[in-house]
Amino acid sequence: MDVEGEVPAAAAAAIANGLGGGEEASPAPFSAEQLDVEAYAAQYSGRTRLARLVFVADRCGVEAMQLEALRMAYDEIKRGEDVQLHRDVALKINGRLGPRYGLDQAWVDTVSRRAEQRKEKLENELNGYRTNLIKESIRMGYNDIGDFFYAHGQLSDAFKSYIRTRDYCTTSKHIVQMCMNVILVSIELGQFAHVSNYVSKAEQTPDSLDPIIVAKLRAAAGLANLETKKYKLAARKFVETGIELGNNYSEVIAPQDVAVYGALCALASFDRSDLKSKVIDNINFRNFLELVPEVRELVNDFYASRYGSCLGHLEKLKPNLLLDIHLHEHVETLYTDIRHKAIIQYTLPFISVDLNTMATAFKTSVSMLEKELAALITENKIQARIDSHNKILYARHADQRNTTFQRVLQTGNEFERDVKSMLLRANLLKHEYSQRTSGSRKM
Amino acid sequence: MESLEALVAHIQGLSGSPEEVAHLHSLLKQADGDSLRAHASALVPFLAHLSPGAHSLGYLYLLEACATSGANLGDFGGGDFLVTMADFLTACSSDQIRLAPDKFLNVCRVLKDQVMQLNRPIRGIAPLRVAVRKIQASPEQLTPVHADYLLLCLLAKQYKAGLSVLEDDIFEVDQPKDLFLYCYYGGMIYIGLKKFPKALELLHNAVTAPMSSLNAIAVEAYKKYILVSLIQNGQVPSFPKYTSATAQRNLRNHAQIYVDLCTSYGNGRYSDLEIFIESNAAVFQSDNNLGLVKQVLSSMYKRNIQRLTQTYLTLSLEDIARSVQLETPRDAEMHVLRMIEDGEIHATINQKDGMVSFHEDPEQYKSVEMVEHIDSSIQRLTALSKKLASIDENMTCDPAYLLKVSSTGRDRGRFDYEDFDTVPHKYF
Amino acid sequence: MDLSAVQASLSDKSYSSLAPLCDELLLQAASRGTTTDEWPYAVHLLAHLYLNDLNSARFFWKSLPQEVKGARPELAAIWRIGQCLWNRDYAGVYTAAQGFEWGPDIADFIAAFLESYRQRIFQLLTSAYSTITVADVAHFMGMSEEDSTNYAVQNGWSLDAGTKMLTVKKPKAQTNQKLDASKLQRLTECVFHLEH
Repeated sequence: MDVEGEVPAAAAAAIANGLGGGEEASPAPFSAEQLDVEAYAAQYSGRTRLARLVFVADRCGVEAMQLEALRMAYDEIKRGEDVQLHRDVALKINGRLGPRYGLDQAWVDTVSRRAEQRKEKLENELNGYRTNLIKESIRMGYNDIGDFFYAHGQLSDAFKSYIRTRDYCTTSKHIVQMCMNVILVSIELGQFAHVSNYVSKAEQTPDSLDPIIVAKLRAAAGLANLETKKYKLAARKFVETGIELGNNYSEVIAPQDVAVYGALCALASFDRSDLKSKVIDNINFRNFLELVPEVRELVNDFYASRYGSCLGHLEKLKPNLLLDIHLHEHVETLYTDIRHKAIIQYTLPFISVDLNTMATAFKTSVSMLEKELAALITENKIQARIDSHNKILYARHADQRNTTFQRVLQTGNEFERDVKSMLLRANLLKHEYSQRTSGSRKM
Repeated sequence: MESLEALVAHIQGLSGSPEEVAHLHSLLKQADGDSLRAHASALVPFLAHLSPGAHSLGYLYLLEACATSGANLGDFGGGDFLVTMADFLTACSSDQIRLAPDKFLNVCRVLKDQVMQLNRPIRGIAPLRVAVRKIQASPEQLTPVHADYLLLCLLAKQYKAGLSVLEDDIFEVDQPKDLFLYCYYGGMIYIGLKKFPKALELLHNAVTAPMSSLNAIAVEAYKKYILVSLIQNGQVPSFPKYTSATAQRNLRNHAQIYVDLCTSYGNGRYSDLEIFIESNAAVFQSDNNLGLVKQVLSSMYKRNIQRLTQTYLTLSLEDIARSVQLETPRDAEMHVLRMIEDGEIHATINQKDGMVSFHEDPEQYKSVEMVEHIDSSIQRLTALSKKLASIDENMTCDPAYLLKVSSTGRDRGRFDYEDFDTVPHKYF
Repeated sequence: MDLSAVQASLSDKSYSSLAPLCDELLLQAASRGTTTDEWPYAVHLLAHLYLNDLNSARFFWKSLPQEVKGARPELAAIWRIGQCLWNRDYAGVYTAAQGFEWGPDIADFIAAFLESYRQRIFQLLTSAYSTITVADVAHFMGMSEEDSTNYAVQNGWSLDAGTKMLTVKKPKAQTNQKLDASKLQRLTECVFHLEH
């Protein structure tokens, strides 16, 4: 939908409250007070916790929250070994948290020195294993180096080391371990093609997998599909994610995320029957939904056609979703899709719809709704036409007899045109061919 | 060497039965080249002793010798040589002149060159129109005269006259160049008459014709094809798969600005398109396409209004004006009125409320006219299918084709005979 | 130059046959190299306008040499009508047609053109409008408000005197229901053929 200068005031208001769809997400001021940073961070572990804290700090636009997130990140980093991240965060804090939260050069030097030594040691060990050709030790050696790089934030090097273990895997377990490592690094690197790739590699191992691993793989696959905008596939993977996931994958994703991602992708892409069977009646996925009651409610609202309430819930969730490291980019698209789905479903059973009533249900103005409907009709998503004079939407029932006649005549015309043009081309080819074979022959 | 007098006597004596004419033809062939050419300027008085209708073959040899002698034709015999040629083309016997098609085509070409040199292209139209029919073995055959005839029609601005040859379906072509010119000029005639679907058909044929190297006519045809497609359909289809690789690879590069125009058109914003056209006006002008480009611009209002009819049952003139970027509701009303007049939309304007109601196509497909229309379509298509089947059969019996097909395993060559096979079968 | 056929068509008032006739005569005359000083340019141009064939009219005008256009005021006056038609200046057509003193041999043709034009416009208004102001009808029809109101009311339209708004009466579409039996037979055979 295009939002241009001449949009009336009412319409502009509707856009400002965020339901308008397509416009770019502005990182600017919305109230993000609801987000309890500490509780949020507690859902995660490892590097993703740091990455998420930094992301929240960058995006939230509220200084208190920003500083809280950075303080937590700072403390956490000091317990680890990533000196670059330490520098970055110290720079972001920029002295606002007092001298205790500045750049700690002594710490940086110590950690770096220790890292040098450790790296040397690991490499020496690995070289030893390689001369002796002990497969398992080589694998472990690469793994250790991978872990080392990962901990120090050298992700591409970590990725390479993990990949190298592949040639030395001797059991399914090894392969799965290799895959899980590659997936973990690839997610942080944003290389989602690799994620999908290694998920299927892991799933193809001959031995039956531990249910927790299966759940992790589903969640990772969902994430990869979400990030590559394949929302329907993402929804399928998330709703299939086993409850065994629990908090076992906190270095990547929390079970609450599975609920939110799965529900939003499903609303945006599933048809009504799939929504019912794969989401609402899915006992397994219901466990996830219970973790986020608001999302559970909005799914039920959508299915029960309580669109106003559904959209209300979505609005409330929006500020926090925009702070989510994976979902933020997709929030607008998913919201627009959900809204369009709701509009389409709303109109489906009716022969005529009063636009005033409908606008109230969708918390928007009649003129904005008219624009949205017009766009959906143009895209052929709604078979209806708008009586703008009386503000009524009428379903359009194509006359089958007339359409058939129209199509027959059109097909006939195209046939005639195509055949004539083909005969002509055939004639030219034949001419050129005989010219070529019998030498130049003038008329 | 026989004297001219003797030759004329032969012509007078041997123009009766086919056997006589054949004998005469061999005499004429002997005379041609030496004596006739040498005495070109002396030939004119002898023409007066011959009848263009009865002694067509002999007349043709003499006339052609004069016409191609390179002498200044205006000096010949005091009379108007153009009229002599025109009279001959009108009166000659097609059976006789078809014995010497090259001579006949030469006369036509000289006539065309002459009227163009005199800057009086209209003088050649009636004679060449007859000439096409005389030299054609069937109305389906394309001759070199076709393109010349169409060119004269264009130059003389006698567009309607061009229809007399364009309305025949052409299937037999001897020279690819004839076809390219025929399609290009024919396309221009239909564009002038605003018969855009027919123009597209011809231009499409020029663009998709087999070609081993790119030619300038195809490039110009492609430019016009883009513009007419936008005017008629609002979009340009991609090349069909039977388009030659040469065309697919090169045409777009040679028409980049037109491709950009498409992109701008696709965005649907009148003002953007207007700016694009203004800033590139010089290029379009130098291609002689500026007029057509302006029609593309104004077709955008039309297309945008048509799009509204798909979405709305009623819409205020004010909203129409706003959504298609017209200044006032009155402008919108005039555009809608114009489109109703041209049968481009079905709508009624309600001035009292300032509203427009859009209707579905009122055609109910039950009138007698419609039945007749359908019937005639069926007749045409059946005939076409039969033709197709018979050509298909001939082709599969053609030794050259069989040889080619049996060798395609090793060398697919430039000729993709899939054209012959896959397309028709989907229709059978 | 033999223009008797043109004269005959003019005096018979078979105006719609004039355009093809003139076109053909002109081509024949040109091929004989005849001078065309005597050519009835004005009639030829008007003949295209009469058929509402604006493309041909425009090309005809463009094909004329400047000295012909400049020396014939009647021809130029007809072209002004053509320009109004081309630009859809509906009211301008009447002004242009009425603003010239036409010669006796063409005055009737002009009147016939105007009459057929007015009828065509009235049909257009009938199909394009459901309600329209009296002023606009007068504008489109080239008549006074009173005359155009009368004209419209005679054709079944109704007037709201208060708002000076006319409500259009749509004619019932007439469709010919008679069908040639042989055509039906052929269609039946065709369908039969397809089904078996």
